[in-house]
Amino acid sequence: MRHDVEKDVRIAKRSLEALMKAGADKAQTNLSISEKHEMNIEAGEINLLRTTFNTSLHLGVIKDSRNGHIGISSSDEASIEKAVSDVMDIAAGAHPDEAHDIAERQEPAEFCKGPLEPDLDAMYDRLKSFVATVGQRYPTINLRQVILSFTRSNNYVMNSNGVDFKTFKGIYHFVAMFSASEDDKVSSLNGTGVSMLDLDRELIDCGSVDMLLKQSVEQTATRPIEGKFVGDVIVTPDAFGSIWGFLFGSLTDGPVVSDTSIYKDKVGELVAGPQLTLHCRPVADEIADGYFVTSDGYAAQNSTLIERGVLKGLLLGIYGSRKTGRARAVNQGGAIVVEPGNQSLSDLVRSVERGILLCRLSGGAPNSYGDFSGVAKNSYLIEDGEIKYPISESMISCNLAEAYKNITGISRERVDFGSSIIPWIALSGVTISGK
Amino acid sequence: MTTVDLQDYSRLFSSYTELRVQENRSVRVGFVKGNNTVNTRSTTGGVSARVYKNGSWGFASTPELQKDAIESVIKAATDNAEFLGSRREHSKGPLPVVAASHDSSFATNKPRLTQKQLVDFIKEIDDHIATRYPNLQSRTVFLNCLDMEKSVITSDGSRFTSMTPRSHIYITLCVEKDGEPVDLYQVYGGLGQFEDVFESPSVLFPGIEEQYEHLMRKREGVYADAGVRTCVLDAELAGILAHEAIGHTTEADIVLGGSVAKQLLGKEVASPLITLVDFANTALGQTCPVPVYVDDEGTKAEDAVIIDKGILKSFMHSKESASHFNVAPTGNARAYQFSDEPLIRMRNTAILPGTSKLEDMIASIDDGYYLIRSNNGEADSTSEFMFGIELGYEIKNGKLGRAIKNTTISGVAYNVLKTVSMVSDEMHWSGAGMCGKKQPIPVGMGGPAVKCQVSIGGR
Repeated sequence: MRHDVEKDVRIAKRSLEALMKAGADKAQTNLSISEKHEMNIEAGEINLLRTTFNTSLHLGVIKDSRNGHIGISSSDEASIEKAVSDVMDIAAGAHPDEAHDIAERQEPAEFCKGPLEPDLDAMYDRLKSFVATVGQRYPTINLRQVILSFTRSNNYVMNSNGVDFKTFKGIYHFVAMFSASEDDKVSSLNGTGVSMLDLDRELIDCGSVDMLLKQSVEQTATRPIEGKFVGDVIVTPDAFGSIWGFLFGSLTDGPVVSDTSIYKDKVGELVAGPQLTLHCRPVADEIADGYFVTSDGYAAQNSTLIERGVLKGLLLGIYGSRKTGRARAVNQGGAIVVEPGNQSLSDLVRSVERGILLCRLSGGAPNSYGDFSGVAKNSYLIEDGEIKYPISESMISCNLAEAYKNITGISRERVDFGSSIIPWIALSGVTISGK
Repeated sequence: MTTVDLQDYSRLFSSYTELRVQENRSVRVGFVKGNNTVNTRSTTGGVSARVYKNGSWGFASTPELQKDAIESVIKAATDNAEFLGSRREHSKGPLPVVAASHDSSFATNKPRLTQKQLVDFIKEIDDHIATRYPNLQSRTVFLNCLDMEKSVITSDGSRFTSMTPRSHIYITLCVEKDGEPVDLYQVYGGLGQFEDVFESPSVLFPGIEEQYEHLMRKREGVYADAGVRTCVLDAELAGILAHEAIGHTTEADIVLGGSVAKQLLGKEVASPLITLVDFANTALGQTCPVPVYVDDEGTKAEDAVIIDKGILKSFMHSKESASHFNVAPTGNARAYQFSDEPLIRMRNTAILPGTSKLEDMIASIDDGYYLIRSNNGEADSTSEFMFGIELGYEIKNGKLGRAIKNTTISGVAYNVLKTVSMVSDEMHWSGAGMCGKKQPIPVGMGGPAVKCQVSIGGR
C-alpha cells in the first residue's frame, strides 16, 4: 500500500485549493486510500485470496447556495482538474437551498486505530482452524460462504473552513454464512459477522458465531407454529437491527426533512420501555470498528440516544439540522451499545408464557408509521418458559413504535460484534401466526 | 472509459487468467418535498486480474491504469493464487476452456444532457406533483442512472467489451390519514441512458396519476386477514418469486453450499404451468433489462432453463461450478465493480407467460387478494421466501375490493409453485432490481400474473 501520507495530504489540499480557485463559496474534500486483503471460503474450502487497492476522492462544493458533489477513484492531477471543473458544473445545475453548509472549523486532529498491516499467515491459520473445528463440532454444517478480511484505510477530510482530520485505521472483518443439512432436510441460511482489531481468538469464539452454528444444526427439523396468537418475542442480538432499524432510520435527515418521521417531535419523550438505555459510541475503546469523523466533516463524539426509554435527540446532519431548525447530532448513529439488563437470558426465557426467540427476521420494510410484518427465520417457539422447537413458515407482525414501548426485559448477557454491543431484548404484544 | 489494449498483457499470464478493465458511472439527483437534496456524479474504475491455479483463485485490483499498475495486478493475483495453492492438500483440475468474442453497447446516440438539464427535468416532475396533488403530505423524486462499461480478456482467448446502462426515476408519494403517514412508491425507467429512456417529464404523468389513485385507495386500506390465502401475484411479484425464491436456490454455488434444490434436480417442483428461465440477453424476441452476451469469465451467455413445465431441469453456472457438475458453463459469472470477482449471478429471471386472462384469474377467486407491488424480497436456501407488499387489494366474490395496508407474504417457493392454477398471458419486466450476494448487481426480473396459495401477514 502507498503509505505516503505527505503525498496524500498534498492531493487533498490541492483539490480543496482548486475548488476554491474555481469559484466555490465553500468546499470539502474527502480522500480515502485503502487496501483490503480478503480470504474466502466457498463450499467449505479456502479457495480465494483477494488484494484490492482503492482510491476514493470525494469533492463537495456550495456556490450561491447550490450544492454539488462528485466522486472519483483516481487522484492524478488531470483527473482532479476534470473533477473540479465537473463538480462546479454540477453545483451550477442545482436548485439553491440555504440549508446546505459545511462543518465549521475544529482543531486539526489525527486518529489512529488498529494494526497497520495484515498477518496473512495468521488469517489463513485462523480460517483453517475454523473449518476444522466446525467440521468436528458440527459435522452437518455446510459453510456456504466465509470471509476473513483485513482493511487498512487512510482518510483525509478537509474543508474551506479549516477542518483538517486524518484517520488511519486497520480492522479485521469476519463474516460466516452457513446452513445445516441432514438427510434431505436443510436449515435456513444463517449468518453473522464480527469486526476485530486482532486475531487473538479463534474465529468460532467471536461474536455469536458458535451459538448460531449450534442453532443451525438444530434447525434442520422445523415445524410451523399452529394458529395465531399475541405473545412475547425475545429479540436476539443478531436480530436487533431488523427490529430497531426503523427507529434509527426515522431519526435521520430524509424522513425528518420529508416530514414522514413519527419521531421528529418526540425528543424528550418516552419512545421505548424505561429499561432501555442505548448509546451511539463511535469513538469508544469498547467499539473496535467505529468512526472518528462524520461524513459532514465533524469529529464524532459518543452520545446517548435513548436514556431509560426517553429519546434524547435525532440523528440529523448539517442539512437536516439547518432545514428543520433542530439540533445536529454529534455523530451519525451506529456503533450501538445497549446497556445490559438485570436478568439472565435463561430468566428472560422463563418469563415467556408463549412466544418466540427471534434469531433472524426476514421482514418487509415497515411503513412510515411502523406497521410491519415479517417471517421469523432460524427462530424457536417458547412455551411455558421453555424453548420448545425451531420453527418455520411463521410470521410476526406489530407496530414497531408500540413494540419498543413494550419491553419486558433485557438480558445481562451481550454479544460484542465489534461494531456494536447488544443484549437480548424481550418485547410483548406481538402477533405471531403460523399455518 | 479509458481505452487499454489488454492483449498486450496476455504474455504475462502464467496460468488461467482473466484481465478486466471496468468503469461504473452514476448520476443521482433527488428532490425531497421540493428541496434539491441530492446532486451528485461518481465514477469508479480500474483494472483487476483473477488467476486460477490448481483449484485456488487469486485476485487483485487497482484503480490505476498505467502499464506498471496493470502488470503488478497480474503479478499480485498470481502470487495470491500461489499463496493458497501452496497450502492446498488436494489440487483440482483445469477449468473448462471456452472462447467467445463480442462487443455490445447500449450507449445513446443522442446529445448528452447536462447536470442542470437533468436537475430541471426532475424538478419539473416534482413541481407537477406538488401542483396537481396539493393534499399530499410529502413527496420524493429521485433519479438514479448507472453505466457499467467493461473490457475483458482471458487466457482462453475470450475477449469482449460491453456498455450496459440503466436509468430509473423513483417517486414516493405520501398522504396523511388520521395523523399517520401512508406512502406508495413507483419506479419508472429501464435499460438505456437517460436520453433514450425518458423523453420528457410529461411522459411520466399518466403513471404518476395512476400511482396517486392507488395511494388514495391505500389511504383507506385495511389490514389483510393473516393466514394462507388464494392470491393473484401480479407480474412484478411473480418476477421476484422467480428471482428470490427459486433463482437463488439454483445458483450452483448455493447448491454446493447446501441449497434444497440439490435434492430436487429432475423432480417435479412446480405446477406444469410453470416454466422458469434465466435469460441471457433476449426473451420472447425482446432485449432483456440486463442483457449479458459474454460473462466476466469470457463464457458466451446462454439461457438457463431452470424449470421446464414444472420439472427442475438445471442450475446456473460459472466455469468452476460447471466443472464440478460436469456440464457446460452458462455464462452467469458477473462482477459489479472493477474490484469485485465474478460470482454466479442471475441475469434476467422470469416465469414464462401462460394462457389465462388476468381478469378471469381475479374473477375465479371468492375470497383472496390481488397483490401488485413489493418493496423488498428475501429468500433462503430452503426456498422459504418473504416479500414485503406495498400495494394490493382484496378480492371478494371475483371482484377487486378495498386496498390493503403494507403487509408481507411468505411461503416455501417449491410448495407455492405447486399450487399455481392459472398463469396470465401477459409478460412484464422490471429492470430496477439490485440483487445482493456479497456484491450488489443489477438484475432483470419478469413474469406474468400467477394464481397461487401463499401466507399473508396481517394483524
